[in-house]
Amino acid sequence: MPYSYWLIHFLFRAKLYFTRRTINYFSQTNSFTVLCHILIGLFTFYFAQNCILLGAQSITSGGRLILNQAFPRSLLPLSSAISAARQFLPTLPVYISIVIIGKLVLSDTQLPGFTWNYLLIPIILILLTITSFGLSLLFATMNVYFRDTTKLLSYIMRIWLYASPVLWQPDMLTGWYRAILYLNPLGPILSANSRIWIDGMTPTPSQLIGCLFWAITSILLGGYFFISRERDFAVRI
Amino acid sequence: MPSASKPLAQMPDNLAVKIENLSISYKINVESKKTLKNAVMRASRGERVRTRTVEAVKNLTLDIPHGSVVGIVGANGAGKSTLMRSIAGILPPTTGRISVNGRISTLLALGVGFNQALSGRDNIILGGLAAGMSRSEIESQTDAIAEFADLPEGFIDMPVRTYSAGMYSRVAFSVAVNMTPDILLLDEALSAGDAAFKEKSFNRMRQLCAEARTILIVSHALSSLNELCDQAIWLHKGQMLASGKPEDITEQYLKFLNVGELPSSYEDL
Repeated sequence: MPYSYWLIHFLFRAKLYFTRRTINYFSQTNSFTVLCHILIGLFTFYFAQNCILLGAQSITSGGRLILNQAFPRSLLPLSSAISAARQFLPTLPVYISIVIIGKLVLSDTQLPGFTWNYLLIPIILILLTITSFGLSLLFATMNVYFRDTTKLLSYIMRIWLYASPVLWQPDMLTGWYRAILYLNPLGPILSANSRIWIDGMTPTPSQLIGCLFWAITSILLGGYFFISRERDFAVRI
Repeated sequence: MPSASKPLAQMPDNLAVKIENLSISYKINVESKKTLKNAVMRASRGERVRTRTVEAVKNLTLDIPHGSVVGIVGANGAGKSTLMRSIAGILPPTTGRISVNGRISTLLALGVGFNQALSGRDNIILGGLAAGMSRSEIESQTDAIAEFADLPEGFIDMPVRTYSAGMYSRVAFSVAVNMTPDILLLDEALSAGDAAFKEKSFNRMRQLCAEARTILIVSHALSSLNELCDQAIWLHKGQMLASGKPEDITEQYLKFLNVGELPSSYEDL
């Protein structure tokens, strides 16, 4: 399908220009704060990405096990989510160390010190895990029927990264454009995450509602799709 | 595919497995590549997915009492493995029902679920957890299972990727037969290991029979079936052609295959 490859190529070019603009925007603001926003955004996004990608492959790669052992199939994507979480958690001390060093060395940093709002981070991460796990169930099921889903997913994840508030800040979107943030399942979570880590503030009610909405929607949708097709896996693999 | 579970209360206590009018059929995709790209291209041409229906098991009814050892014979593609997978709860019945009374341990393929990077001892624990045992239950049996596998010294604590095929199958067989299952399903697992280990395996199987465990064995080693089983069934193209004493069934089966009573035919077909 040459058209689709052309389209993906075009999208990447467009995203590249967009990123350049973003860098220009960021150069006018506090660079260390921006760096910290990108860092924590990337770490968090890659956790979701690993959870979804590993989970999507888990059923087809566990084919022999599925054919020869009776067990709840959802354990395979769940183990992928746990594996992704184990990769992600060590990145938090790295980020905290960078922030501490930055605050000690640089005088113009705008990052907050310790605030009680940091206690909300585990809740945000739990919601992120639920959202990612729900999506991984959806894609794992799709991958049983269409074996190129994971290949397609790797492209989708790249585009998803640029469409998420990782390389740009959520407040860059104003008016109706803010809808883009809430149509993205990871948008409200990444915005809320950045608001706590970077601004030291409580997430806005709309961010929290967005996080909850996408966590519930993705786990219900992914879970239903997975459970309704689970009995087919041993035949389709 | 419809579910076919049945409350255990309706099953006679003396039965370990009750199979009623079981049929298993499934559609296989004839397309060489099951991809989203092909699906989109096909849809754009207005074509439908080409599938073929395979009837793996047809209208099978069978009662297996507790403590019986049932051998299943049949040519390749007869539906033996499908039947075993269905009893294990892996493949759902299309019609009919299977009722199981007891904990099942399966050895349908050797070393499934083993982690190549972990040691044999760790994989014994992994296998036990997969079989539904608690960690303390497994840990109390780990040494006995490791001893049963009888690997060369030190190998049990080495990663299984360093094992030979024979050593690998020994550990897998040891895990399956030592999990104290109520019902043990073995598919072509009797040929694990060398002659000494085979004898040990047979003794363990006899011990399980004496403990009134229910065992279902799929094997082409007819002499082993004659020795171990007290009942045999013959499957052909998904249908049960005969059931009865193992000697009678294997004899009928050999006549059907037209290979005669050669030593090789009794050993491994």
